[in-house]
Amino acid sequence: MFAGFKAFASRIRGWISPRRGSEEFDSELSTHLEMLTSENLARGMSQEEAGRAARIRLGAFSQLREINHDLRGLPMLETFLQDIRFAFRGLRRNPGFSAIAILTLALGIGANAAIFSVVYAVLLKPLPYANASELFTIFQSRPQDGIPVNGWSYLNYEDLREHNDVFVDVAGTQQHQLTLTGHGEPTVAKTSIITPNLFSVCGIPPLAGRAFTEDDGKKGAPPVVILSEGLWRSQFGADPNILGTQIDLDKKPFTVVGIMPGYFRYPVLSETDQLWIPVVDDPLFSAFMPFRSGHWLTLVGRLKAGVSIAQAKTELAAISARQAQQFPDVNAGWTSNMSPLQQMFTRNVKSALLVLLGAVGLVLLIACVNIANLLLTRATSRSRELAVRAALGAGKWRIARQLLNETAVLGLAGGILGIVLAYWGVHALAVLLPPSALPHVNAIRVDKVVLGFALLLSLLASIAFGIAPALFAASANVAGSLREGGARSGEGAGSRRARKVLATLEIAIAMVLLVSAGLLIRSFGRLLSVDPGFTSEHVLKMQVSFPRFEYPKPIQWANFSADLLRRVQAQPGLENTAIGLPMPIVDGNVNLGFDIVGRPSLSKAATQTADYMSVSPEFFHVLGIPLLAGRVFTNDDVMSAPRVMIISKALAQTYFPNENPIGQQMTGFGIPPDPGTPRVIVGIVGDIRDISLGQPPTPMMYAPYAQSPLWGAQIVTKSALTPAAIVAAVQQQAAEIDKDLPVSNVGAMDVGLEDSVAQPRFRTFLLGLFAALALVLAATGIFGVISYSVSCRTNEIGIRVALGASRGTILRMILRETFTLAFFGLLIGLPCALAIAHLLGSLLFGISANDPLTLLIVAVVLAAVAVFAGLTPARRAMRVDPLVALRHE
Amino acid sequence: MTQDRSEILQGTLDLMVLKTLQAMGPLHGYGIARRIEQISEEALRINQGTIYASLVRLIQRGWITGAWGTSDNNRRAKFYSITKSGRKQLDAEARNWERIAGVIGRVLGIAAHG
Repeated sequence: MFAGFKAFASRIRGWISPRRGSEEFDSELSTHLEMLTSENLARGMSQEEAGRAARIRLGAFSQLREINHDLRGLPMLETFLQDIRFAFRGLRRNPGFSAIAILTLALGIGANAAIFSVVYAVLLKPLPYANASELFTIFQSRPQDGIPVNGWSYLNYEDLREHNDVFVDVAGTQQHQLTLTGHGEPTVAKTSIITPNLFSVCGIPPLAGRAFTEDDGKKGAPPVVILSEGLWRSQFGADPNILGTQIDLDKKPFTVVGIMPGYFRYPVLSETDQLWIPVVDDPLFSAFMPFRSGHWLTLVGRLKAGVSIAQAKTELAAISARQAQQFPDVNAGWTSNMSPLQQMFTRNVKSALLVLLGAVGLVLLIACVNIANLLLTRATSRSRELAVRAALGAGKWRIARQLLNETAVLGLAGGILGIVLAYWGVHALAVLLPPSALPHVNAIRVDKVVLGFALLLSLLASIAFGIAPALFAASANVAGSLREGGARSGEGAGSRRARKVLATLEIAIAMVLLVSAGLLIRSFGRLLSVDPGFTSEHVLKMQVSFPRFEYPKPIQWANFSADLLRRVQAQPGLENTAIGLPMPIVDGNVNLGFDIVGRPSLSKAATQTADYMSVSPEFFHVLGIPLLAGRVFTNDDVMSAPRVMIISKALAQTYFPNENPIGQQMTGFGIPPDPGTPRVIVGIVGDIRDISLGQPPTPMMYAPYAQSPLWGAQIVTKSALTPAAIVAAVQQQAAEIDKDLPVSNVGAMDVGLEDSVAQPRFRTFLLGLFAALALVLAATGIFGVISYSVSCRTNEIGIRVALGASRGTILRMILRETFTLAFFGLLIGLPCALAIAHLLGSLLFGISANDPLTLLIVAVVLAAVAVFAGLTPARRAMRVDPLVALRHE
Repeated sequence: MTQDRSEILQGTLDLMVLKTLQAMGPLHGYGIARRIEQISEEALRINQGTIYASLVRLIQRGWITGAWGTSDNNRRAKFYSITKSGRKQLDAEARNWERIAGVIGRVLGIAAHG
């Protein structure tokens, strides 16, 4: 080892001062030569003969010098530097070629790096918690009723927390909005109501102050709150003395005990401005704590070291079974399960992201194929130069290495430009994406992992596109190339075939991308053309929240809302105003079980459920939901009147297939404020899609807001006024009732619907973009190959024309060549495209993966583009002057 | 497998150079080449120049050193001599060689000793 190191050090010395070594060596060799000569003379040879024999005996001087030089210096480094110099010289000599190759590669690398930065941030980067891989969401489900994921009741949670051996600890959360007053304008604070141990389960200590203690979670403890760093800065001006002071939430004083660092967010997708309070201090959810029924607490648990996921799942199943046995009326039919926290938030986007990553990889592949083709062309036109080098003593591998180095320089240049493009692309992606579309969008950036990825990719790419030309160069026939001479020195049939195979491959890959993009575009079109069942144009919704501590009784909510609604309706331009909560699609759905009076009560294991809305009488008119039978609500359907309800067509058809539902009675479980009271069905209205545009209409039940008010009053108005004017008007009316009421959650329904398809739009747009890129690259590839083929065949074409072939014949001949390429490309591409399309599966909507129309359109477009790309060279072939072509020889 | 010219492996030549320097003391390149030819009873007619590649390698590893001096007939020549670590290396290589020769001998059915 030591001897090796010494040798290396000596080589470096030799490399630094090569002259000394070589002069010494020369004089040493001449001494040797003299000695050999005198030996030969002593044997009786003539002077001349003795010198000649001595030189033969010693070996060629120049060769010995070369060996000596290689041994003493750093030949690898030297040839490398030489190659790099050659490479730059070569690239400069052919600026057009270099620019095209570098740009093509930069596009490919840039797109890959940008998409990879999204994939990395979303799928690979660990969540910002201590040992995040130990964290799992624990949920209840009722698979037989199609409820895959649901929360826990507080009592069931306590039971789980105390009686399990697999989790270090388990915490629960729920989201809520409280009104923050006393600091300027009243605002709505995004609030997470949590069990006090949440921060310790996540393993993140507060930035300042303390986390909650078990005592904070006990009934009767003084209310406490922890602020996020973001809220502390934005709302409290980063007041250093905030700890220990009180803030008002829903008009109740809370003591600030801690501030959490900005990188901490829980729930994972929550806002950066938020606050946390113990469940027991929340005006709404604290009321649910004493009950074993209900599924409102979302759990996160930290798995004990050494416990396997399978073990934990078994234990959860056992706990559920025990709970079902002990409290069958609420727990029967429910089981528990868990999944990694990260997975919960990436599940929806994972397949889309992987599809995009695959697509962008294919784009890079096409780019590489294109560059390989360019390089092949160049290597062929350089074959004379390379042959001269070979004749002058460069080994085959020396030449192959030189070519590979050239492509490495090319690859690196493309990679660096690509990274610049990626920076730009990531910014563009961020604009394209609403924060709701992907988990932690703001974490997406070009960091060192992405940089490493891009560099590695450019290296791999340069090997990929450099290998074919280098191999051809290494196997080239030197003598042949030199003899053939001139610029027309041929390329072998092998290289020409390789070129065609590459072009065919490009068409096949482009077909895969185009078919995928086509399917997604058609899916997206279907999604957009879905009729949600209600009108969204010019419909604005906004919420007026009121402090629950000041308005504790539902009748107060109802009265307030009725008052506000009347005032707003009296404003010019706001006549079409109603109350409705939660609004379809934009607010998320509330699913409740129900019974039909006079039928056997639902079994505990099979629930009939419907989505629920609480609305004022004008609601159906404002949203354009048609009344199909019976009547809509009236202003007489108030708290003191008999309970009534309206159902949707889907509910009527599913549960009253052969009878008239109007006049029958239903009990909606959980409809506040009197969940068990039967309600008379008075009307049937049209279906709406309330979960998402992509999901078929759910059965709906509507209750009059006056009879079942919910938290906050949500004003829905269809008006030609600007949103700002509407909000100002509502704000003013609300302030006249109570000056501390903020207007929040303002949203245009059409914008909301658009946002709800942001994710499909994002992936469709990107895949479309990649497919277009692939098409352009493939067209360039075909153009290159056909152009080259024409230039090689100029001679042949000249002869044909001279022998009487018409221009049309020549044109057809070249176009046939193009068409053959396209045909085989499509032939290979079709099965690949079909296979890939089936992988898209869940991303498709309302369309089959082998949609014949999409396949047909793509095939026609590709064939047309191929022929178009071949047209220019074909026309050039057509104009070949036989005299010029033959003289060319 | 017989070939006209004995193909000597690089390492073997290095080993022979070391052995020659150990046995003969300081020598110049010509002397080393002659000595190896004589010892091998002219069986090894090497391109004498290749000796120099061997010498460079050995110097780089620190197993021999070179110094300019004057030869018998008053020529300026570079004399090489074996170093301490060179001797150690030679011992190790020689033992290794014997071991391999023994193994090969046994494999080929030739008695290595006697």
